Amino acid sequence: MAFFLSFMLRRLTQGLLIILIVGFVIFALLRIIPGDPVRIIVGPMATETQIEEIAKDLGLRDPLVVQFGRYLVELSNGDMGNSFIKNKSGANVVMGRSSEGLDNKASVFDLIVAAAPYSIQLAGLSVVFALMFSLPVGIAAGLRPDSWINKISFGISSIFVSLPNIWLGILLILILSTKLHWLPAIGYKGFSYTILPAIVLAIELSSVIVRALSSSVTSAMQETYIQAGVVRGLSVGHMIRHHVLRNAAIPMLNLFGAQLGGLLLGSIFVVEYIFNYPGLGLLTINAVFQRDFPVIQGVAILTTAVLVLINIVVDLISASIDRRLQY
Amino acid sequence: MEKEKAHFWHTVNGRMLSTAWKRPGFKLGLFVFVFLLLMALILPALSDVSATKISVRERFLPPVLMGNANTAHLFGTDQLGRDLLLRSLVGLQNALLIGVLAVVGMFIFGAVIGIVSGYRGGLVDTILMRITDAQMSIPVVILAITILGVARPTPFSVIVVLVLAGWPTYARVARSAALSESKKEYVRAAKIIGASNLRIMARHIAPNILPPIAFIGVLDVARMMIFEAIFGFIGIGIQPPTPTFGNILADGTKYLINAWWITVIPGLFLFAALLSLNSIGNALEKARNDVFGGHS
Repeated sequence: MAFFLSFMLRRLTQGLLIILIVGFVIFALLRIIPGDPVRIIVGPMATETQIEEIAKDLGLRDPLVVQFGRYLVELSNGDMGNSFIKNKSGANVVMGRSSEGLDNKASVFDLIVAAAPYSIQLAGLSVVFALMFSLPVGIAAGLRPDSWINKISFGISSIFVSLPNIWLGILLILILSTKLHWLPAIGYKGFSYTILPAIVLAIELSSVIVRALSSSVTSAMQETYIQAGVVRGLSVGHMIRHHVLRNAAIPMLNLFGAQLGGLLLGSIFVVEYIFNYPGLGLLTINAVFQRDFPVIQGVAILTTAVLVLINIVVDLISASIDRRLQY
Repeated sequence: MEKEKAHFWHTVNGRMLSTAWKRPGFKLGLFVFVFLLLMALILPALSDVSATKISVRERFLPPVLMGNANTAHLFGTDQLGRDLLLRSLVGLQNALLIGVLAVVGMFIFGAVIGIVSGYRGGLVDTILMRITDAQMSIPVVILAITILGVARPTPFSVIVVLVLAGWPTYARVARSAALSESKKEYVRAAKIIGASNLRIMARHIAPNILPPIAFIGVLDVARMMIFEAIFGFIGIGIQPPTPTFGNILADGTKYLINAWWITVIPGLFLFAALLSLNSIGNALEKARNDVFGGHS
């Protein structure tokens, strides 16, 4: 148990350090680029003195490190600041009509909490789709490395990895939505709106999973314990379920953490934008267009934290599957 | 001369290339890729129309295969009457240029940092590896929309963002290769004759470990081309009127129902280029695994 605690403590501090570094880099980037954020808040009609006043009020004239420190203190209270653009009612403010300041602006935390469930639903469904396809195909291909199944699965994953998600998304909208009317595509009015974007994400994920799964199954099959199992009279099905998959699971999990986590988090932004799906990605991309810095910053720090957490959880699960692994 | 050639095919790199050449995927991919590349380089230069020339009378012409009699535009025209074949080819030029330069950049950057950190070890190594850890925790798209979204997107800044996002992977691979290489006999021998650290890293370690890493870089060119298209689609890539796959697709979606070819045709070109690059890259990767041992 002490073992476990020291592992968690070390990984969490490391993770926290990474989040701090990434957070500071993004925080700094958003402040050194040209363009005064106060201008965005108050609109083009405000005078220079008004701008200076509001900037001082918001602490935007303090040194960068002081600002970042203040942001962190607020962050630890669950406060990510307020959006520059969005009102509490959800409506975007027309430029120049909001010189009252930030009192009636929506908090970034609330915006994220409102959008996150949509993104989680999309991510979850896409992983389910990806596994439904990749597990049977990958395992079948891995068990027979020189067969046609392997060649076909390799070909399919080559095609999948060469399909740009923006084009694939548009193609699916064109065929399944506008021509065949099977699935709705744009916006969100119910669960069925999640299916099409989830397919696009699943295809992207599958290209990686199929290949990794088949090669780790192949290498697990070549281990001596398989021959030993044959000698002991175990059935192939039993060995696949209890030995091969267990051993193939470790590299798969590591893949899930580092590579797939990043892939999914990045692509979900793009796919949400293509399908106008109201999750975190659409929120962020719209924030970029409106130069709504607090939102960008909040989402960037959140996604980094999620990625770091995924990696910690993956290490924990790997260790519980394979006891030989040290924490 | 003959002797030199024979010698090359017996080096590790030569063996990798010849093993890759025996795979059908490599030849097919190379053929398609060279074909597309030549088209992209020659056709826009030869054509008397430019890819950005607007011709209102020839708007929304479908491809010839769809029964369009206007053979001047084999693949049809877009909402402003611009030729889709030319636009796709210029888009391909831009995508390839950015993809290749970005991969070269991240390769050089990552290789230098990785070799130094693997060879020297110690504190330098620890710090560099922690930086790559942090860097790998930001998804490329998020890094890109933060930087490109708030700064002005130019071809140069797009390349910089891609290099920033991609170098840690190269640094890690180069580091672990340099680490194992630095314990070998020939490095010790070089040290004993008094070669400087810089010389050992540049003349002995780098030529041994970099070619296999560079071969795999082909796969990354394809990935970077996808990112370039994504940036263009969101509107944070190279700006119109310069045609890129991203901004062509983004424009075309507005006319998806009546003129689907505006999005489908350029996408097909991009898909063909990516598939050919991935076939070449996969064959090289398998060849590397065959030559260096290990499974695919």
